[in-house]
Amino acid sequence: MIYDVFVAPFADMIEAPDFLMQVLWEGLVSGILYALIALGFVLIYRSSRIFNFAQGIMVVFAALTLVGLHAAGLPAWIAVAATLVVMFVLAVTVERVVLRPLVGQPDIILFMATIGITLFLIGFGEIIFGGENKVMITEELGIPTGDFVFEPFGGLLILQQLDVTVVIVAALLVCALLAFLNFTRMGRAIRALGDDHQAALSVGISLQTIWVLVWFIAGIIALVTGIAWGARAGVSFALEVIAYKALPVLMLGGLESITGAIVGGLMIGVLEKVFEIYWGQPLLGGNTETWFAFVLALIVLLFRPQGLFGERIIERV
Amino acid sequence: MKRLTTLAAAAALLATGAVAQELYAPNLAYRTGPFAATGIPLMNGQADYFTLLNERDGGIGGVKINFDECETGYSTEQGVECYEKTKARAIVTQPWSTGITLQVLPKTNVDEIPILAPGYGFSPMADGRVFQWAFNIPSSYWDGASMILNYIEQEDGDLEGKKVAFLHLDHPFGKEPLPFMEAKAEEKGFELLPIPVGLKEMQNQSAQWLQIRRERPDYVVMWGWGAMNAGAITEAVKTRYPMENFYGVWWASHDADLNLVGEDGAGYKAISWSYPNLEAPLIADLKEHVIDAGLSQTNEEEMQGVFYNRGLVISMILAEGIRAAQEEFGEAEITPTQLRWGLENLEITDARLEELGMTGMVPPFSTSCADHTGHSGGWMLEWDGEQFQKVSDHLMPETEVISALEKQAAQEYADSNAPWPVNEECNVGG
Repeated sequence: MIYDVFVAPFADMIEAPDFLMQVLWEGLVSGILYALIALGFVLIYRSSRIFNFAQGIMVVFAALTLVGLHAAGLPAWIAVAATLVVMFVLAVTVERVVLRPLVGQPDIILFMATIGITLFLIGFGEIIFGGENKVMITEELGIPTGDFVFEPFGGLLILQQLDVTVVIVAALLVCALLAFLNFTRMGRAIRALGDDHQAALSVGISLQTIWVLVWFIAGIIALVTGIAWGARAGVSFALEVIAYKALPVLMLGGLESITGAIVGGLMIGVLEKVFEIYWGQPLLGGNTETWFAFVLALIVLLFRPQGLFGERIIERV
Repeated sequence: MKRLTTLAAAAALLATGAVAQELYAPNLAYRTGPFAATGIPLMNGQADYFTLLNERDGGIGGVKINFDECETGYSTEQGVECYEKTKARAIVTQPWSTGITLQVLPKTNVDEIPILAPGYGFSPMADGRVFQWAFNIPSSYWDGASMILNYIEQEDGDLEGKKVAFLHLDHPFGKEPLPFMEAKAEEKGFELLPIPVGLKEMQNQSAQWLQIRRERPDYVVMWGWGAMNAGAITEAVKTRYPMENFYGVWWASHDADLNLVGEDGAGYKAISWSYPNLEAPLIADLKEHVIDAGLSQTNEEEMQGVFYNRGLVISMILAEGIRAAQEEFGEAEITPTQLRWGLENLEITDARLEELGMTGMVPPFSTSCADHTGHSGGWMLEWDGEQFQKVSDHLMPETEVISALEKQAAQEYADSNAPWPVNEECNVGG
């Protein structure tokens, strides 16, 4: 038993380094996608203290809109632009119809409102696009679908060009977001709202504008995530469940930390894959990815209740 | 004023006893949620068949069928709610998930409503002596696993010393054939490698396929459902697993899942107890009475697929059960108990299929009091890059072996759920 837990997995890694590289790569790809979804949650939480339950369905809705508009005759990239317009309209609508009337209400009310948005988008999406599985317009968007094959250590390492593209685009999107948040006026306004609502409002930052902006950014993230996941296994309402993978990322990284979302996503992506392959499958019958991330996050919370990068809240009575 | 007029009209109808005759046959459907993509074509096929009977023939035996849907989203909890909501008027319940089936199974003994679970549910439900109210016509999961293993042996030789990966949804449905697969692994001397896929991992099965790459199984047998199938097939292509060694159950034979990979999926096979026959007279009638009349939710592409046509077959099974009961008892408005008799006395021969305009859409089969499955056998379908093609003759499961296992498992179920009512009047083997 001790050998199986402490020796055999590492012996396997050394024995087949090409396979280990493949595992790490697959973990990295999953991790960056988890990080992207988590970023959508974090941005909205930072600026409004709302835990956006609708992030998962926004991924589905964005991907369905893109595929639907292309099926309606729009060229691929025009369909992307049109989808962004739709996500902007959605952001404005959410702010006007749902959030604005609820300003000042307890957090739980706003959270419940996002559950309402989720249910609405599920119904609305099914009425407009139907529930069938659809093929993502990967080739039409110019995303390469072949693979790169390497033979490190005399073994085999296959990198899907789609995955490579996803990693690059996601990394660029994260960098652009960080630059936007740190070096632009609007970005600093979002951060200011996250730091102190009252102080931000007192210096003239418009809550309504910021909320529309963060929901729109979450929409952009949803579209990129939807394209990436949709290209792997089709576009259907099943995509919604991948948003739940972001929950342990948020627990691990901290709900209000952008760095936490990125680091947490990558950590969970890589560690859950490595654990599943070298410990989960041989010793526990597999499918440990379902719970591993939550257990990891719980362990972190035992020592750092605010997550790895979250803000420590001290309340004096 | 308008409301008063409506009330008066309703009162007049009640007073004269002129209430429209109908048989209420609810379907616990799932057109929403993660499994909607596979549910929709099946539900459309089911609904269209009854719409056709209502429109063309005025129902069955002069009574219309109220084929109502209660949405479950494939959630067991919602499914049980749907069952409770519909059971008062229902002559049958169609739970559409192994999880829901297992939950309502004990309830139907009390409520006395037949469960119709074509091609799904708990395989030992075949033993009608123990599961008096449950029917998994025309093939059980153990039948499916048996046919796949037999076909592999028939094509590639003995399984002894081979490794078979069993990729399955980590859900009652996915685990259902495991006891049979384990028994066969022991008997035939192959290594069985169960690989579960969690509901949240259906779209991202890289870990499972890394395991397949590492273990290099000779064959992969998939018990997949919903988004899991598309996820597995894309990962198989990505991992370069030889498609000709990749087999699926009948719920993994959805054209839309394979369309995602197109040519790259060529060679993938799935066992099936149904097959589309687009030249069948039934299809022409559907076009005339249902599709062209705007009474269907389907489309031209979906109509040609395996799942839509399977939906038609499923409703045919129920319709034939109703017809048999009406003829036996001489009543148009049959009771659930009478329908149970009908489902226990199905005789779906080639001649009957021809009369129904469904030649070649399902193998012939018959049921009895003791055999609630029928064990019709099926065909192996292969994806050619564009559609599924039939690549085998009529395959049959090892009925004797399976029946013995079913009886044993059914008895174990009855013992562990004692007191469980058993129909002693059933002549086992009869």
